[in-house]
Amino acid sequence: MMRTLRHAGIIPSVLMLVVVLALNARLQPHFFGLPSVEDNIATFTPTILICLAQAVIVLSRELDLSVGAGVSLINCFLATVPSAAVGGPWGLMGLGVLLALALGAVNGVIVTVFGLPSLIATFATGAVWYGLALALMPQPGGQIDEAVGDIYSDAVFGLPVPLLIVVAAMLLWTILGRHRLGRRIVAVGSNPVAAYQAGIGVAGVKFSAYLVGWLLVGLGAVSISAQTLSGDAGVGTAYTLTSVAAVVIGGISLAGGRGTPWGALIGALVLGVVTNVIYFAGIPSIWQEFFKGLVIVAALGFMVLEQRRTAIA
Amino acid sequence: MKRLSFGRPVLLLGLTVALLVVGEVVLPGFVGLGQIANQLKIASFLGLFGLCQTIVIAAGGQGLDLSVGAVATLGGILGAGLMAGSDVMTPLGAVVAVGAGLGVGFLNGMGIAVLGVPPLVTTLALSSVVDGGLIVGVSLVHPADSASPALVALAGRGVAGVPSVALLWAAVAVVAIWLLSRSAWGRRLCRTGANPVTARLSGTDTVRVRVIAYMLSGGVAALGGFLLTGYVGQAFLGLGNAYVLTSIVVAAIGGVTLAGGKAPYGSVACAAILMTVLVSLLTAINMGESGRQIIFGLTLLVFLMIDRRLAA
Repeated sequence: MMRTLRHAGIIPSVLMLVVVLALNARLQPHFFGLPSVEDNIATFTPTILICLAQAVIVLSRELDLSVGAGVSLINCFLATVPSAAVGGPWGLMGLGVLLALALGAVNGVIVTVFGLPSLIATFATGAVWYGLALALMPQPGGQIDEAVGDIYSDAVFGLPVPLLIVVAAMLLWTILGRHRLGRRIVAVGSNPVAAYQAGIGVAGVKFSAYLVGWLLVGLGAVSISAQTLSGDAGVGTAYTLTSVAAVVIGGISLAGGRGTPWGALIGALVLGVVTNVIYFAGIPSIWQEFFKGLVIVAALGFMVLEQRRTAIA
Repeated sequence: MKRLSFGRPVLLLGLTVALLVVGEVVLPGFVGLGQIANQLKIASFLGLFGLCQTIVIAAGGQGLDLSVGAVATLGGILGAGLMAGSDVMTPLGAVVAVGAGLGVGFLNGMGIAVLGVPPLVTTLALSSVVDGGLIVGVSLVHPADSASPALVALAGRGVAGVPSVALLWAAVAVVAIWLLSRSAWGRRLCRTGANPVTARLSGTDTVRVRVIAYMLSGGVAALGGFLLTGYVGQAFLGLGNAYVLTSIVVAAIGGVTLAGGKAPYGSVACAAILMTVLVSLLTAINMGESGRQIIFGLTLLVFLMIDRRLAA
């Protein structure tokens, strides 16, 4: 067990998670009580999904800085389309995921077919997504079918839906990791030239990574919309930094090819729980942004130093 | 290669003239002396922030400075707080603002060059600390936020019709072009960006070069924010936010490639003028923030594709 963890490079992230969880348990009343757990899972689900999405793309040695703006665009889109016109809440949610896949396909084509550097190209598409979101929803508002919210806060066999979504996403990745596509993503990410020489279609694999990633972004955006039930072009902005930070905290190399979904999950949880801790610690609201920034910096520093120490040892 | 580096500014200025002609046709009176002076003023700020990205992108390693917005706000708020509306204290405000920018840049540089955290992550994380710190500072201290008359004059008025901030930008640009394209340090910077391993082997202290690059970026961004305070009249939270995206856009359009090793500030300056005219044309035809964002993103994509074609 220890060896697998060390191999995955996530021991420091697990440590961090334990620390923040302990803090949270002390501060939040009834942290381990069922209502709190359900509440927390519902809150963390979008973050987890979007961080997993970034992780898939990062594994293939690319990056996506448009995920936050994409979430905003999907959210605003859902808030402008009446669900009655698209076959009820399920139709609306399906449409949201389809839009996400379309956005992912655009990014994938730009990066693989046109060969633009993903860092700056997705920065550019992010501006376009944000502009479109603003065009749909100049001011926060609109109304998303409440049935969407009901589905999200429902439970199946006693398990809350958000938890099931996260389990499904992790399962998707585990299956992916054991099949050809997952192995190819890692191969392309760790050494694109060798992967190419081994006969792997590098462009196709990267494109698939974008599609899988944006499937998860779509689920995340639908989850957020189910919680807020309204449209806001600024709703996704923070997720870009969070997703990249979670990937790094989860021990996934931005150079591609190294990392596990568990790392991304832990990274997302660390950042989510920290937000909780800051809230329940009764820190005045003006300090919250500052603390969040400091924690991210501290976590990044800790990860980097840990990796350096283990690399030398 | 040589031809290209001269062709680019000509192309960009040609496009600018074309946009001005279109503007004059669509909206008679779009091109006037007062209008052009005003656009030069706005272009000066964009050009300063574009310089930040030019330097750090040239330093390579996926270089990027996403903290320019936060640092500009920091410079503006610190400067305004110190000078408290008095002309005498204005130079002190400027010095402290730029010093703070150099300090944030130093931290960026240490995180990137010494610890090896990717520039994107480092600068984003630090900018959230700076933004958060500013929220705390402003709500606890309630610093003075208005620019002194001297700063307003410097950033807003002009000498014989030429805005003084544009003259200042021209001076900065001359120094920057010399530093980046002619000086020994500029050669070390580009060598570091193009291939850090060979640069190190041939005796360049690449860590030091990168740290200095991020410090310069921070210093220039803080100066930009300080001057912006004079132009707007007061400093406020979020003052520099809009420049994060636009500074990267002008650097990319100016031909700075993410691979590093190229720092053509002359064409970046032309790109700043082009984008300013584009934005003012879009504003003049009543296009809102959403349309501007979309057109900025698309313009960036088009130029990236052109560069890709030229490189292939």
